Amino acid sequence: MNDAPRGTENLDEATGARDRRAMLVAGLAGAVVAIAGASKVTAAENDFTAAELDILRFAQRLELTARDLYDAAMAAGATGAIWEAMSEQHEAYAQSIAGLTGLSADSRNDEVFDALVGAFSSSGAAEAAYDLESAAAATHIEVLGLLNHRPASELIASIISAESRHCVVLADLTGRGTDLTSLLVNNAQPILPA
Amino acid sequence: MNHPRAARPNGFDRRTLLRAGGVSLLGGAVLSACAADFGGDSAPGRVGLADEGTPLPDGIVDDVVLMRTMQSLEHTVVAGLTAMADGGMFSAAQSTYIDRFISDHVAASGALGAIIEAGGGEQFACPNEWVMARYIEPILAAVQGTDDEMRDVRAISHALETMLAHSYQHVVGLLDAPAHRRAAMVQGAAASRRSASLAVQSSAALHGYVGPELAGTPERTSDGFPIPYAVPSTFGRVDQIELVVGAVDDEGSRFSTLLQTPAENTFVYAYQSC
Repeated sequence: MNDAPRGTENLDEATGARDRRAMLVAGLAGAVVAIAGASKVTAAENDFTAAELDILRFAQRLELTARDLYDAAMAAGATGAIWEAMSEQHEAYAQSIAGLTGLSADSRNDEVFDALVGAFSSSGAAEAAYDLESAAAATHIEVLGLLNHRPASELIASIISAESRHCVVLADLTGRGTDLTSLLVNNAQPILPA
Repeated sequence: MNHPRAARPNGFDRRTLLRAGGVSLLGGAVLSACAADFGGDSAPGRVGLADEGTPLPDGIVDDVVLMRTMQSLEHTVVAGLTAMADGGMFSAAQSTYIDRFISDHVAASGALGAIIEAGGGEQFACPNEWVMARYIEPILAAVQGTDDEMRDVRAISHALETMLAHSYQHVVGLLDAPAHRRAAMVQGAAASRRSASLAVQSSAALHGYVGPELAGTPERTSDGFPIPYAVPSTFGRVDQIELVVGAVDDEGSRFSTLLQTPAENTFVYAYQSC
């Protein structure tokens, strides 16, 4: 048996560990440089202005309002997986804005809730939901035009995409599944801060 | 036992050779560094007489380029839908939708064109060559001789609209001006609605509205085709879109591709025109 001397083995291990550590440090540094280079986000774009926080708080409260309205519809007897899914999704949007901004997702827009809760609690809940989703998408499109903050813009854009899809589902649920205008066109006015 | 050894001349062993070689190289390097510049081409030599490639201009990605790219994608979708319509592949009911979609895409192109010109750019109201060559043309070729034309054109239309919706959402993260991001999502919202409408028609009756991530619904049919859902996820998506079409080939599989959002190879740079 031709064992290598113990000392040489230890030296190899030590050298290997040093090399691995050096490679890890170099790789990490490279990754940081690559991420910094790849991202178009600048320090200024990562800072929210007071106006941006205000508009995002407004958007967040609108999402919590939508959640509460879907919950009200279910409490009034609306059934089907889609209602629960809609409620959960709007809560997720509010929470995601909270995660990005640090704004607590703890309050809805009472004015909008009070105006719509009657319709959501009636047999015309799906119609009311279609109108709300359309208005929410239109609102977020306007919000997008007011934000410099790039990650917030990406988040709002993803919410717009999802809520536009909600509109189509609700158009179908309300018997307008072949009405191209109801399916494809958002004629709703945005909900604006008072 | 004694082994005879060949006699080794003194002073000419391997070490001496290495040392002499090193000294020669060092000397050569010093002499080269000190030598006068006699002129001439210092570029590496070429083998053969082939023409040299023409280098592309630097492609700068700005808001105008991104809007030109989205305008080209609108026309790419028009080209795909028109090719299928001209081939008589849509039913009468589907044609109502597709005609509307095409006119909406042309209108979207006009809206984007106005933004491009306001930004000092030139419109690109033509299909995107890269996307046409790598996606649209192979897809259209694959449906020739298909075993279910209706299934395929429905899937293709859905995939194209979804690709457009994902692309608009994707470029929001690349665009600089908030007004341009807003304009992109005006079109992105419309594309999401078209995508969801086609999903509702295709699969809502059988599989519902909500996708596997949210409702545990199946991802594929029993034949292995991806199932489109009107609400595939909680948030809007920017990922690639799988499309499976055509007849089963000799190896037992069908044509499949992954449609993607635009990137550097798809962008329509300022130096490109049509």
